Amino acid sequence: MNLSLHDVSFRYKDKGPDILEHVTVSFQQGELVALTGRNGSGKTTITRIITGLEKPKSGSVEWDGKDITMWDAAERSRFIGYVFQQPDRQMFMPTVREEVAFGPRQQGKNEAEIQAIVTEALKATDLADRETEYPRSLSRGDKQRVAIASAIAMSSKYLILDEPTSGQDGREKKNLIELLHSLCQKGMTVILVTHDMDIAAGDCSRIIVVADHKIAFDGTAEALFSQDRKPESWGLTYPVSVVLGRTLPGNPYCGDIETFMECYEKVRRNQ
Amino acid sequence: MSRNVPLTKIIFTLCTAVWALVLHQPLSLLALCFFELMVLALSGQMKKQFRAVFILSGFAAFLGAVQYAGGGTLDSAYTAGLRMMDMTLMFLFLLGTTRLQDLTASMVKQLKIPYEYAFMFTASLRFVPDFLEENRAVAEAQACRGLVIKGNIFKKISRYLAVVQPLMLRSLARSESMALSLELRGFGGKHRTFMESVAPGKSDYLVMIFCAAVTAGVIALRFFYQA
Repeated sequence: MNLSLHDVSFRYKDKGPDILEHVTVSFQQGELVALTGRNGSGKTTITRIITGLEKPKSGSVEWDGKDITMWDAAERSRFIGYVFQQPDRQMFMPTVREEVAFGPRQQGKNEAEIQAIVTEALKATDLADRETEYPRSLSRGDKQRVAIASAIAMSSKYLILDEPTSGQDGREKKNLIELLHSLCQKGMTVILVTHDMDIAAGDCSRIIVVADHKIAFDGTAEALFSQDRKPESWGLTYPVSVVLGRTLPGNPYCGDIETFMECYEKVRRNQ
Repeated sequence: MSRNVPLTKIIFTLCTAVWALVLHQPLSLLALCFFELMVLALSGQMKKQFRAVFILSGFAAFLGAVQYAGGGTLDSAYTAGLRMMDMTLMFLFLLGTTRLQDLTASMVKQLKIPYEYAFMFTASLRFVPDFLEENRAVAEAQACRGLVIKGNIFKKISRYLAVVQPLMLRSLARSESMALSLELRGFGGKHRTFMESVAPGKSDYLVMIFCAAVTAGVIALRFFYQA
């Protein structure tokens, strides 16, 4: 099942500047994709078009061979989940369990079905022991897990997270990434809107860079960070592990610190 | 007039409200309404405030209809609707052409309203656009969870609660952090000063004289000609 944008152009006002120009991109099942670029480059606009919060001025959005350009956000919520940068925008129920059950209730599922789905979603996000807690009093990381559980409970095939790691400590970040990997293994496609190049390089199977209103790059982290100076011109910083890897003999590409340590150990042993 | 100091605009706005209360013939109230619309147009506010004027017109029509349905005459219905329009239109001009910090300064320095109350008033006005933006964001977040606000009015209201509840909770949290932020920056100190100069000039005194003359004229018209 493919989700794709075909030749999409977009501007917020009829006479305003183009935010996106002829963007074509598609997402495959089970991918963990980083969508990145400078602030204001149009990353969030792409995700808003995917979710149906904005309609393209030209071009189309397709899912599973169907043209869904005119479907609104509520219709697309059956297969696309969106975790906002501030997840408490959507939280108002007295317990985590009821919060997660809100989406399936909107879908008109019966009570037995809802309870089974919610239990499964809470288990998948490691929130089973917090189901009776008040969602708004949780930490930011846990609120995000509640929002992800809400998306899982709606049987989302695609999960979009807007800046999910901002304001999180190292442990919360690690837990979140582990959770996202496990969701990808189950076949969910995860799209991260992020400036965190360590996560993009170390954890994402694909990076899409948005610059000058277009898709400037679409490929692996290794291909992106092997390009000399290009990432900097798009407002991206090199991950520490990549920079350190370049200092070793043979300039190996190190997507994360663990890979760098392995390369370093090899070099040390050879010496 | 949009360049006048806030005190002048406040006096002008209050005067138009007095004129609207004194006049009681639909034709005089209609004339006042045209005058106020002209002020809005000449100050360049008509385009910006068009939506608000449109909503006010709807509300005036509703008020007139209620008056008529409650046993009033057609004349009294026109009067109720037009009076409401006349009393509120100039507030759009006042708020659209005055910086909120100037308004606060004027309320405190010239009208001698305690700073806390003046600040509360202008802060609540400042939060209206933020509140609308937050409302949009929460509605979008809930739409992404499958919320559709459709159906009859009761269904719409009950579904809209899913937007209103998080909106209220977030607004409360926000007011708490704002209170903290104000305290941390010495809000309520006795020796507060204002950067803004809101002292009236020549043109302000001219407008004030105009307001006083028209108010006297309107009262005379009412008593001698039943306007």
